[in-house]
Amino acid sequence: MKRATAAIHAGSISSDTSGATAVPVYQTVSYAYPRAEELANVFAGTAPGYIYTRIANPTTTALEIGLNQLEGGIGCIATSSGMAAIASVVMGLVKSGDEIVAAQGIFGGTVSLLENLLGRFGVTTRLVDASDVGVMAAALTDKTRVVFVETIGNPRLDVPDIQAISGLTHRANIPLVVDSTATTPILVRPGQFGADLVVHSTSKFINGHGTALGGAIIDTGNYDWSAGPFADIVERSKTARQMAFLSHLRNQIYRDLGGCPAPMNSFLMLQGVETLSVRMAWHCANARRLAQFLFDHPEVAWANYPGLETHPHHSRVVDQFGGLGGGLLTFGLGDQSRAFRFIDALRLARNSANLGDAKTLVIHPASTIFHEYDTERQQQMAVTADMIRVSVGIEDFEDIQADFERALKASK
Amino acid sequence: MKLTVNGEETSLAEGLTVGELLVAQAVKMPEMVSVELNGEIVRQSEFGTTNVSEGDTIEFLYFMGGGRGAD
Repeated sequence: MKRATAAIHAGSISSDTSGATAVPVYQTVSYAYPRAEELANVFAGTAPGYIYTRIANPTTTALEIGLNQLEGGIGCIATSSGMAAIASVVMGLVKSGDEIVAAQGIFGGTVSLLENLLGRFGVTTRLVDASDVGVMAAALTDKTRVVFVETIGNPRLDVPDIQAISGLTHRANIPLVVDSTATTPILVRPGQFGADLVVHSTSKFINGHGTALGGAIIDTGNYDWSAGPFADIVERSKTARQMAFLSHLRNQIYRDLGGCPAPMNSFLMLQGVETLSVRMAWHCANARRLAQFLFDHPEVAWANYPGLETHPHHSRVVDQFGGLGGGLLTFGLGDQSRAFRFIDALRLARNSANLGDAKTLVIHPASTIFHEYDTERQQQMAVTADMIRVSVGIEDFEDIQADFERALKASK
Repeated sequence: MKLTVNGEETSLAEGLTVGELLVAQAVKMPEMVSVELNGEIVRQSEFGTTNVSEGDTIEFLYFMGGGRGAD
C-alpha cells in the first residue's frame, strides 16, 4: 500500500464486530473481564488485553497502527501532546548525570523541557548547530544518551542532514531522536535516514484542523536496544526483543507519566490522518508560492523557506523530503512594530500559537512563544525581533496572497 | 512445514504469509501483536507479503499493558 492509501485505511479494531467503517470511540477508562484469572493473566503479560486507558485504548491503538504504518516503524505509542511524547522518550533514556545534545533552533517548549524540567534532575543539555556534523561530534561526551533534532527547525527552518548525524550517533551508540512534526511521514520517514526514534506533535499537521492535541512516538527499529548503554532496557530486551524500548515506555515510563491521549482525540487524529497526504501536498504548494511572493516583495526585508532553491539546505530538502519544503515559513519587515501592524491588518490569516491547521496562521515568535528568553538566547534560537512565522494553510492561494498583500500595504 | 512459534514446534501448511499465520494460530487481538520472524520485527504493512518458511522461528510479542516483556 502506498502512503495515501495507508493513511486512509489505518488499523481496525478486532473487538469491534459491528462492521463500522469508522473507528469507534472507546470513551472508556477501564475494561472488565468475566473471570479474575483473565485479568490477572493480562497484568502478568501472559495474555493480550486492555487494562486501563492510561496504558492503552482501542481507538488509540488504531491510531498507533496507522501512524506506525505511515512511518514504517516497528511500533508506535500515541500520547496526549507532542510534549508528552518528547518527555516520555527522553525521560525513558536519561538519568541524573547524563547529557543530551540537541539542535539549536528547535521548538522553545522542547528547550524548556530539557533545560528547565530535566535540569532539575541533574541532566545537562547542550544546544548545538545541527547543520554542522563536526560541531555535533565535538559536543558528544561519554555521558551523552540522547541526540535530538527536528527535521525542519521551528522557527529556524534549518534542515539537518539526518543520515550524516545518524552516522555519528550510531558510531557512538547513542539513540537519535528526530522530531518530524514539521514534515510528517508524508514528506519523510526519518527511519530511512538512520533515525532511531521519531516523535511528533500530532496536534499540528497530522491533526490538520486545530481540533485535538496529541503526540506520537515511533521506534524505527534501527537501534539495537540489547546492545545499548541503558541497563534496564537491555534487561527488558531479553523478553521484549526489538520492542524493548516501546515496552519500557508502555509498561513503565509512559504509563507512569500519564501522558495518554483521550480516546476522542485519537478519533479526531484518525480523521486528520486520512487526509494527511493531500493536505501536505497543498500546504507545501501554498507555502512555496507565498514564500516566493514574500521573497520578491519590495516591502519584505527577508523571507525564509526551505523549499526555495536559495535556502542554504535546499539540497537536503530535495534528498530527504522529495523537494517539498513543508508548510512553515518565516519573514521579517524590519522591526517588531511593523510586524504587529502587519498581523493586526490580516483578515484571513489568524494570529495564533499553533501550526499545521487547514487555516493560515501567523505569530510573532519573539513576543509570544519565545518571550521567556532574553534577546541573546532568542538569537541563538534564530528568533529575531522582526520575525513573523506563518503556518501556510490550504485555502485558495489567491486569497492568502491577497490577504498578505493588503496587510503589507496597511502596515507601512 | 515445521516452524517454531512462541517456543513450540508447530506444523503448518506451506506458503503461509505472516497475516495468514496470525489467523491460523487464532492470535487474539492481532492489532496489538508485534511479530518477530527469525529475530527481526516484521512491519505490519508487510504481514500480507512476508512468507514464513520451513525452520523459521516466530514470536508474537505484545508490549502493551500485558503481554511478554511486561513487568
